Amino acid sequence: MATEAGASSGPGRRRDGLWLAVSWIVLSVACCFVVALVWGPHMPPGAASTSAAGQQYSTRVLAVIATPVVVGILLYFGWALTFWRQKPGDDTDAAPLHGNTAVQATWIIATSAIVLSLAVFGTVELITPAGAGSGEGPQPIWKPPGTTTASATSWTPGSKNILQVQVIGQQWAWTYRYPQFGGFETTQLALPVGQPVQLNITSLDVIHGFWAYSLGVKADANPDVNDVAYTTPYVTGDFQVRCDELCGIWHGSMYDTGEVLSVASFLKWTQATRVRLADVTKLLPPYAATYDPTVVASMGKVNAALGLTGAGGGFYNPADPEQP
Amino acid sequence: MSLPARAVTLVVAFLLVVAGVVFVAFEFIGAQPSLENYTSQAKDGQVNVTLMTTAQTTVTNKPDWVSYFIKNPATGDFDHTTYFAVPASTRVNVTILGYDGCTPLRNPLWGQVAGTIGGVEDVSFFNGKTATPAAPLTTFDSWANCSVQHTFAIPGLGLNVPVASVTTLKENNNLCGTSPCTAANADANSPHTVVTFSFMTPKTPGTYRWQCFVPCGLGYVDGNGGPMGTPGYMMGEMEVRS
Repeated sequence: MATEAGASSGPGRRRDGLWLAVSWIVLSVACCFVVALVWGPHMPPGAASTSAAGQQYSTRVLAVIATPVVVGILLYFGWALTFWRQKPGDDTDAAPLHGNTAVQATWIIATSAIVLSLAVFGTVELITPAGAGSGEGPQPIWKPPGTTTASATSWTPGSKNILQVQVIGQQWAWTYRYPQFGGFETTQLALPVGQPVQLNITSLDVIHGFWAYSLGVKADANPDVNDVAYTTPYVTGDFQVRCDELCGIWHGSMYDTGEVLSVASFLKWTQATRVRLADVTKLLPPYAATYDPTVVASMGKVNAALGLTGAGGGFYNPADPEQP
Repeated sequence: MSLPARAVTLVVAFLLVVAGVVFVAFEFIGAQPSLENYTSQAKDGQVNVTLMTTAQTTVTNKPDWVSYFIKNPATGDFDHTTYFAVPASTRVNVTILGYDGCTPLRNPLWGQVAGTIGGVEDVSFFNGKTATPAAPLTTFDSWANCSVQHTFAIPGLGLNVPVASVTTLKENNNLCGTSPCTAANADANSPHTVVTFSFMTPKTPGTYRWQCFVPCGLGYVDGNGGPMGTPGYMMGEMEVRS
């Protein structure tokens, strides 16, 4: 660039370097505003929860940082195509390039500063929204500020005691258990607006992936593991839940629709659902962070009592025949 | 290698690849279960669909796999398939002849009837000699009792029906041994249950997958392999047509 700019400098000649710099600054500022203020609010996954809003903010910041780079590359490319084309009949070689310590140092320092700054920014963005909607494993490091897990059997809106919902993946459906409301389990996921939620994500069989896209929650559902993720929904309405881990033939159909309700509606829903499912709730195993059929005492008891040797409902011995 | 030889080699290799792809595609497509079309059977907004469960599939090369069968509405025979079509906005009256023995549910939640008209299923038990009158049931405790053999669930419609099983050791040890369990096979009078229930199909046409939630793929990882993951055995599709 310096060579080309220099070649076109001089009395009566266009000052490419200056024009490029001025154009780049003006275009970058304009495009950054457009990216941040016009495109930004529409970036995925939206801002329907703390975790989603955090992800959208991170994406906006990264997009704004990337904008001057993209503008610079496109501008230089367009400039070169327009003004530095080889003239017809001009077979001379281009001017040789020489190393430039200042340019190299500037490049290394600038890119290092950007990458290290982004590392710090990314870490902060992971910590501040309590894991950013991702699974933190059974012992989460980052929790929503001001919340506790004081009671696993009751919940009051607005209290420090966080609402807990167990998400259970199984081939091929999601079910949801509410330990603080009598431990009922249902195929419907309902959450209260404006209340922090602790999602305890696990699986009954293979590895699934719980992905509530518009809530910005995405966490693995592993058998025998409690993968904890946090979010606080901001707006009422429906949201899609799907499995993001290839889990078998009906993986593509393993989705359903959750709903964020007002706090009053949520409490009414929990009451009604608790009554509606009372009979089957009695049959569920005691609430536990994970569910392992090899240790659930009741599993297979019937078969053993009857002396049956068929499928027992648990995990089968790897030595069984017909392992694929 | 000469130019003609290289050209011939290239063409042959290309044809082999194409033939392989065509073979795999046709083999896969050809292996799909047939579809039992009940749409023309609908009358007065209702249609009757009959299914059967069996402890084995002696009509296939997987004789030890559990399976569903569906009654062919034209011939009355039970075909080895799990695909059927019904009209939209129609009451579907389902009868399941349950010829398999009991297996506990991994998740007891699926022991509750859901999504049927009235929230119940009617069950009649046949011990090989006499049948009990059909009685409505809503919840099955498969961990405490020998009570469930499979489920018929359409998650997209919120439908879940535990298929009741015969309850005693004697009955479970004298199940039908040839599939389908029909008079022609002299197995229709083996111990079994008759489960009936009804549900409404949605207004809009579409394909709804259905499956069993009992991990009954004995010997497979988590009990969900084999017949649980193969069309034509313990999972299928219900096509809703306009």
